[in-house]
Amino acid sequence: MKVILHCPIDAPGVPALSRRTPLVLAPFLGSTVLSHALTGLAGEGVKQVRLQAGDKTAEILRVIGKGDLWGLKISGGLAHDPEFSGARTVSLDSLPQWPDIALWTSYPTWFKAQLTLMERLARMRVGMREQRAGVFVGLRTRVAADAQLVGPAWIGDNVFIGAGAIVGPEVVIEDDSYLDDGAEVVGSIVGPGTYAGSFTELKRSFAWGRELLSLETGSVTEVQDRFLLGEAKAPGFSISRLWKRWQKKNSTS
Amino acid sequence: MKPQRTESVMLVQVPPELNATNAVTFREGIRAALTTTTTTVDFDLSKTRFVDSSGLGALIAIHKTMLNRSGHVRVLNPGPSVLQILEVTRLNRLFEVVHS
Repeated sequence: MKVILHCPIDAPGVPALSRRTPLVLAPFLGSTVLSHALTGLAGEGVKQVRLQAGDKTAEILRVIGKGDLWGLKISGGLAHDPEFSGARTVSLDSLPQWPDIALWTSYPTWFKAQLTLMERLARMRVGMREQRAGVFVGLRTRVAADAQLVGPAWIGDNVFIGAGAIVGPEVVIEDDSYLDDGAEVVGSIVGPGTYAGSFTELKRSFAWGRELLSLETGSVTEVQDRFLLGEAKAPGFSISRLWKRWQKKNSTS
Repeated sequence: MKPQRTESVMLVQVPPELNATNAVTFREGIRAALTTTTTTVDFDLSKTRFVDSSGLGALIAIHKTMLNRSGHVRVLNPGPSVLQILEVTRLNRLFEVVHS
């Protein structure tokens, strides 16, 4: 079975999501929208995918490769490929496996889609466990004993949540992120590899590296102070050093 | 920064950017302009696009100065970006934020 997969380059309802990456590669519950879509298509028995994403096609193909991860053969380009004559066209305005859940209408819609699919995708993710009702935690994630986790919450792989932090309800913490002691995240998404400093408060926001997007107003701010918000793997910034410091502090107190 | 004054309220127009390059001058300029009758400092942030930790430090310093004088500070009309910074740092709880 063959599919032409149309990937929107941007969407008027969520312009900030395509600032940093092609829209379909925006973070979405442990992966990207495109990755989840390819998983769905493979599950339907699709074998070949022709990806169409305008001038972003080559960039996207560089990231996802030729499809081995999904058992698919993926090619791309706008030119007509006779091999795909009569193939079904799928538009990535929603995930093929959940066509009723719109993704890009607005920021609240995008956030709501993640909350709606959280439990379903958590149960499909290797190693993810439900630590308490509605709180899904990934592999190699460390949570301080006195941190408060309130579901629904997705906490990805290799995440650190410090002492006294408050996470949830309605939160997605993507992989490789670090919430320092006392940070509070409610109704928000923390993008992959993001550091949120001590006592930072995120509400109705999407924080990804230094970029902070308000899910309510669509306003985007670039935070200049790395101790507030930043890339967890930025030059001169060591998560392992933070972790060692935290261990030392908590073994002596 | 051009403070305007009524008898007890000093209105300060905060510059478009308040950061490490101008935060100290900003803070000291306000302190110098305070009089014994000033009970409130209003920071008009409507034209401010960007504040970093040095800028926030200046606002906090004036807040502390005013507390010591039994006065207070208000933040007027912060734009979405500045409001996000105030919320991330929880300073929206410290300052009275006024939208008009």
